[in-house]
Amino acid sequence: MTAAAIEAHGLGKDFGPVRALDQLDLEVREAEFFGLLGPNGAGKTTTVHLLATLLTPSRGAARVAGHDVVRESLRVRRSVGLVFQETTLDRDLTVEENLRFAARLWNLPGRVAAPRIEQLLRRFGLFERRRDPVRALSGGMRRALDIARGILHEPRVLFLDEPTAGLDPGTRRSLWQLILGLRQWFGVTVFLTTHYLEEAEPCDRVAVLDRGRLVALGTPAALKREAAVSSLEEVFLARTGHSLAETNPG
Amino acid sequence: MRAVYGIAVREFIRFLRQRGRVVSSLVRPFVWLVFAGTGFAAIFAGALDYRRYMAPGLLGMVVMFGAFLASLSTVTDRDAGVLRMLLVAPISRGALALGKAVGATALGTVQALAVALILLPAVRLWPTLSGALLAVVAIVLTSFAVGAVGLVLAASIRSIENFAGVMNFVVFPMLFLCGALYPLHHLSAPLQTLAYLNPLTYGVDLLKHALLAKWSAGGYGGELAITLDFAALIAFGVAGLASAAYLLAREGGVTRTAFRGE
Repeated sequence: MTAAAIEAHGLGKDFGPVRALDQLDLEVREAEFFGLLGPNGAGKTTTVHLLATLLTPSRGAARVAGHDVVRESLRVRRSVGLVFQETTLDRDLTVEENLRFAARLWNLPGRVAAPRIEQLLRRFGLFERRRDPVRALSGGMRRALDIARGILHEPRVLFLDEPTAGLDPGTRRSLWQLILGLRQWFGVTVFLTTHYLEEAEPCDRVAVLDRGRLVALGTPAALKREAAVSSLEEVFLARTGHSLAETNPG
Repeated sequence: MRAVYGIAVREFIRFLRQRGRVVSSLVRPFVWLVFAGTGFAAIFAGALDYRRYMAPGLLGMVVMFGAFLASLSTVTDRDAGVLRMLLVAPISRGALALGKAVGATALGTVQALAVALILLPAVRLWPTLSGALLAVVAIVLTSFAVGAVGLVLAASIRSIENFAGVMNFVVFPMLFLCGALYPLHHLSAPLQTLAYLNPLTYGVDLLKHALLAKWSAGGYGGELAITLDFAALIAFGVAGLASAAYLLAREGGVTRTAFRGE
């Protein structure tokens, strides 16, 4: 067992002829708040899916929460929470039913799950809406519920894949408050991806991916200092020679 | 297994929430009974009323729609993203397939029993106690077999757009080639072969053994051995479950559409 929450060594993934991820070496510490940045198509989601055992690596190896992602995939899945880029809630079920369904999938007995569900709903401002079907919730509320479900089983590592994509700026800000509150709350390791580089400032450390390759790794402050620039966006430009706007469609 | 139970419960809640599905599943057999049954009864010169002959087949039809459509909801799950969340849960693909199959079995069974309570008195078909018990077992086993086969189909088709094709080329042939509307021995050899590849055939046959035993001398009861019906239904169920679990585990199969990379 090791103190690192996530370790990747030469991790790579090909989709047919396309090299989605190439030789990723990475170590994320326990309780760290880690951001994986890059434009759409850089390999961020592929990385998350490899670490969460949803994809099998083409090369290399990785351990998450001390377990090998290939040989011990069930153990990894038990120790991680994953919030996908697009919501995976059941729109026909109520807020509460969605959480109860997840509790059963994660093998939590009712007497453990019930108080935890109530606590999460109150904390995330969803308690009053608990009997509403998910289809009646706003985008921001659905996202919050997605995250609540991701931490219901108190994972050691929480993956958030583009948690704020497609939300308006106000909702993005309040969602960030909620995410930042998580680590103080129960010391979970947070691994999030985003293509809004400016959002990643509060991260302890960030890694920047471009076209499947790691181009920068460090604290946001150190990366900016090294490149002698004032924003992460400019770090990206300095490291890759092209701006994020060129690669980010829309 | 808590996860299996959770998956099955979700299927149930979803079903009850879709009023149209509940109503159509309960009304459909009676529409057949009135429109097809009355017409055929007029030209059917048998020892028993055609509508009574039709009852086991109609129950088979309810099972078919109930269990098969429940399994096919896996396709909707994929479209809505819920399948991803099932795949990221710490459960084996076998448990996932089993949960879906248990849900389909329960849905098929409950719907068929509800319809039976109205249908059998309506056609004045009063089974013996052992007949009634055998019918319940037949309904459960058929729901399981049909549900498991439906799951294989759901795990292999890519999108909801293929749904109409499935209805036309799978559901309707299965309904017509299962002995629900006429005895199998009237069919030509190639069609009979097809009927024997249909899990519903064995379920309807078992229901005829259970409900039409009195008329078996006239050729209206079950046509196959009861043990064969049992063996076939269990075999379809187990084989279906195993293939569905395999298909769900296959990376780049279901998962490719569920996880498009970036």
